[in-house]
Amino acid sequence: MAAKTKVLLLMVIFILAALAAGCTPAAPSSATPGQEVDKEQSVQSSMGTADTMRLTVYYATADAMYLSPEVKVVPKTDHPAQNAMELLLQDPKSHELVKVMPDGTKIRGLTIKDHVAFVDFNDKLAKNNGGGSTTEMLIVGAIVNTLTEFPDIHKVQILVEGKKVDTLSGHMDLSEPLSRSEKIVKKSL
Amino acid sequence: MLRRVICSALVAMVLLLSPVVTAGPVNSNAKPNATVSAQKVDATTAKPDAAPAAQQLMQVRWATHTDAVTGASKLRLVFDVSGPVEVDGTVTANPTPRLVVNVKGAVPAKGDDSVNLDGKIADSVNIGAVDGQNTMITVDMPMMVDEGDYKVFTLPADIAAGKPFRVVVDINKPIPPMVFNFTAGLKNKVIAIDPGHGGTDPGAIGLARIMEKTVNLAVALKVKDLLEKAGAKVLMTRESDCDVFGPNSSAVDELKARTTVGNFRKADIFLSIHANSFVNRTVGGTATYYYQKTQYDSMLAQNIQAGVVQSAGLSNRGSFPANFYVVKRTLMPAALVEMGFLSNPDEEKLLNDPVFQQKVAQGIVQGMERFFAQAARAGGDR
Repeated sequence: MAAKTKVLLLMVIFILAALAAGCTPAAPSSATPGQEVDKEQSVQSSMGTADTMRLTVYYATADAMYLSPEVKVVPKTDHPAQNAMELLLQDPKSHELVKVMPDGTKIRGLTIKDHVAFVDFNDKLAKNNGGGSTTEMLIVGAIVNTLTEFPDIHKVQILVEGKKVDTLSGHMDLSEPLSRSEKIVKKSL
Repeated sequence: MLRRVICSALVAMVLLLSPVVTAGPVNSNAKPNATVSAQKVDATTAKPDAAPAAQQLMQVRWATHTDAVTGASKLRLVFDVSGPVEVDGTVTANPTPRLVVNVKGAVPAKGDDSVNLDGKIADSVNIGAVDGQNTMITVDMPMMVDEGDYKVFTLPADIAAGKPFRVVVDINKPIPPMVFNFTAGLKNKVIAIDPGHGGTDPGAIGLARIMEKTVNLAVALKVKDLLEKAGAKVLMTRESDCDVFGPNSSAVDELKARTTVGNFRKADIFLSIHANSFVNRTVGGTATYYYQKTQYDSMLAQNIQAGVVQSAGLSNRGSFPANFYVVKRTLMPAALVEMGFLSNPDEEKLLNDPVFQQKVAQGIVQGMERFFAQAARAGGDR
């Protein structure tokens, strides 16, 4: 009898989870698939209020050594990943952080297929970035880490003007979809 | 005005050789083969009477992940479980390289199973019930991994993200045991030097309009002189202001042309020389990057970094792994040095100064000499 109750309870939990997941497709969460994160923290960050959502966006530290997350609370939409990319184009709130995306960069589109996000930028991403390898590394890291905050996105392929690019400014190898980088993240300033 | 000079000899060579080097993207056909919601249904409909106390271990999902920044490659296996279990993992080299994972408190939901992987880091995963309570997972690998290069752990259920309890196995891609027999000294060494950018690609540009391609070449030519005086043979990817593959060529053709110079002519080491840039103009310093594809890449980068910092005196940002094309796709130990920041007005002035350029060049050559000495000692210890 006790075993049956347990199974029932389990079913209820799973149905609730399914409902919660269904209401917020690709709900933002710091619980990247398989990442070892504190459960409580991931639950917290995936909860906005009824009308808002919390999106985690990565900026460079002022010394260009690391990326650091900044949480933004924005009105809820049905395309949070695209919203997160748009936030990446804006300046951070913290004065200790620096926006890495080049001026004039625009998002042309974002699609997710088999857990790979294909994010398409205009050519300013490659042309206006200043050409340094540190900048290129931080841009790629910021895009990938911001998008892999979404549980449904495991890898990211960067497109420019609709086409796959092998590199942005001649250093980084972008020929395959890339996964999250934890080493470059500085969690607290 | 950009001069459009073609390094004709190099281009001809590269055109001839380009099919030799296959630098295709690493195939990533890793597709998680079940959705989260489907697994949840599995978990609830799993026969509770079959093993009332044991949890249900679901089918494996797997993917090879390339770290966006460092380029490091790892295989991740994920098994969803209906509830908490305990895990441990051990590796064994005999009779074949294998990782054994013991799952205490779960049985395979669909009986024993075997899944073939792509063979890059692991060939196959076998899941077998040990008894009514426990499961053994074996991962067969083409190459042995070191302790510390694999991790077996569990993740709690995350209701908010719609994820059940999980068993996770991470395996880092091992470094192939390639044999390099380095000797000390620069005499008779074959050294590939790659002045970054060039021709139609200026690279970074400073406030005073100093172009990266110009300072990279100036330093590279000074390195060439010093190395040749020390008896080394130097292979230059370019010796003038030109595109290595051709004007306005695709980025990958251009980068491949550079690695081809080192790869085809079997250089002992490869060094790409660059100058950096960042939006914050106060940022400065020297940094060196590598991709750990042999036992010697980080050793080379550390020695170059130490040599340049000591000789040229800019602040030391350190040496780091990076997903950079030329250090990743060369076959020999390779490094990419970022001498300083052209975006920093003080460093721009220095980078354009022949005296400073000579100091950087001397630092690079000292770093190489120390590298060969250290690599010779490391090889002798085996």
